[in-house]
Amino acid sequence: MARKASTALRDPAWLRALLLAVALGFVALSLVLPLVAVFAYAVEKGFDVYLASITDEDARAAIRLTLLVTAIAVPANTVFGVAAAWLITRFSFRGKNLLVSLIDLPFAVSPVIAGLIYVLLFGAQGWLGPWLAAHDVKIIFAVPGIVLATTFVTFPFVARELIPLMQAQGSEQEQAALTLGAGGWSMFWRVVLPKIGWGLAYGVILCNARAIGEFGAVSVVSGHIRGVTNTMPLHVEILYNEYQRTAAFAVASLLALMALATLMLKQLAGWRMRRTQPESGAA
Amino acid sequence: MSIELTDIAYRYGDTIALDGIDLSIESGELLALLGPSGCGKTTLLRVIAGLEFPDRGSVRFEGRDVTRIAARKRHVGFVFQHYALFNHLTVFENVAFGLRVRRWWRRPQRAELKRRVQELLDLVQLGELAGRHPAQLSGGQRQRVALARALAVEPEILLLDEPFGALDARVRGDLRRWLRGLHDRIHVTSVFVTHDQEEAFELADRVAVMNRGRIEQIADPRTLYTQPASPFVCRFLGEVNELPSSLHERWTGVRDEDAIAFVRPHDLDLQPCDAASAVARVESVRDLGATIRVEARHPALTAPLISVHERGRLPEGALAPGQPVSVTARRWVMFRHGE
Repeated sequence: MARKASTALRDPAWLRALLLAVALGFVALSLVLPLVAVFAYAVEKGFDVYLASITDEDARAAIRLTLLVTAIAVPANTVFGVAAAWLITRFSFRGKNLLVSLIDLPFAVSPVIAGLIYVLLFGAQGWLGPWLAAHDVKIIFAVPGIVLATTFVTFPFVARELIPLMQAQGSEQEQAALTLGAGGWSMFWRVVLPKIGWGLAYGVILCNARAIGEFGAVSVVSGHIRGVTNTMPLHVEILYNEYQRTAAFAVASLLALMALATLMLKQLAGWRMRRTQPESGAA
Repeated sequence: MSIELTDIAYRYGDTIALDGIDLSIESGELLALLGPSGCGKTTLLRVIAGLEFPDRGSVRFEGRDVTRIAARKRHVGFVFQHYALFNHLTVFENVAFGLRVRRWWRRPQRAELKRRVQELLDLVQLGELAGRHPAQLSGGQRQRVALARALAVEPEILLLDEPFGALDARVRGDLRRWLRGLHDRIHVTSVFVTHDQEEAFELADRVAVMNRGRIEQIADPRTLYTQPASPFVCRFLGEVNELPSSLHERWTGVRDEDAIAFVRPHDLDLQPCDAASAVARVESVRDLGATIRVEARHPALTAPLISVHERGRLPEGALAPGQPVSVTARRWVMFRHGE
């Protein structure tokens, strides 16, 4: 509920102005300026170069790969996140706290470590490497490895968003649905999903943003094979290292655009979530 | 539909919520489960609904064992304490929910569904509000939507958890009488949970008083009040003076250290007398409108003696603070210490 701040708590005008200036200055310097720079560098040699950079065959392959990886990782984590949140908020069982901690694990460890774990598991010298090689399954330095690493890193977003929301909402409506004769399926579609809908959207959007932008973990497992295992962020790095600054920034500008779009969607989802659930106190 | 509960036990971790409950509820009866918070009454209601499965004992509906049957197959209407309405659905859709989730071959046709929902909404006097969302309703209206929703599936048993708990006093009284009227019309076997003695007495045919996971007594309101089975029931049904033998011997004739006379405030008489024969001294006199409440202090008792007089029965100024009084009772119930 928006309430006017009490006059007693209001700071003097000069202090408010100072705080505002510091905050805005910081945002301008560290967020807006770099964002503007990305677009400025991207088009510094003209629009033709820009278009050529992003329609280049390797760039297109990188975009395709990024979209493919996202299209697998995000739905997988959505299903997992809903299931985990349901399990954690509706049932009590041994090891529940452990599961909650495990969900946070990808946030806690460095993405590079996450990538390395997969190399150690599935790489040629890894535990399962020889077996995989014998069965002609390629994971590391191939698309499956990138999908795995991305899924790992983006694993917590949906569950983390839903757990507090579902905890706050409680299970009374679901129990009511039960006593009215609803089975699991109709309960999920008619009661649970509408209740968590915008919270879920919020989590999916964040998960999506991270899946597109993930660098560290993917970098370790990808092998940087141009046109084959290069995602957009990796492609940006390669171009930049090869002194193709304009091309690098052109691809980076696409990532930045996606980020801006994500931000807008996130804002919308957050706003809708607060609006549609006034009573549960979800914020 | 009758309900028979046999030896129901239930525990949450180390806490015993239900400790061997035997209870049979007749078809068409309106029964109240009354008790202090934490006495197990809500758990018992949830066991009947199938929202909890007992650790021991059996639940039968009309003789049919349903102990292990899931809530969604029991066809029991349940009204939750905080209503648990579906906030994203309109009032109409809330009520229609139970019909919509039926398997297609049992689901009513669109027109039939509409007719039945409208009929229920009219029954709970909310016909006009079908298109609203729960957030746009008052507490009493939400309560009635919850009731209509529970009745939509035509249950033969209706369970209500603290149905008036979240309402303000005035709405509560109105809704209570309305619900009693509704029950007299549709005769569905109903059980409701409450911690409010007045509510239980006004609404129910019989009241089961619960304490610590057990049923202390089950009877109609009059019997409960006049013949309480235990000190707990006696204390729970309203204010009561507990007088030791030394104080009541004169009028009960019982001389026994362990015999405690339980006397309701309106049955306790405080008579002005001289200081020599007085047993207590008036401490305060409060005018409550219809009644006058007098508190007197006896040196041997920690709690004050409470006497409530109807206005007009007490001569103006007869009892004033400091006045020595003698104590007698018109009616009492005797319990032995440790009972």
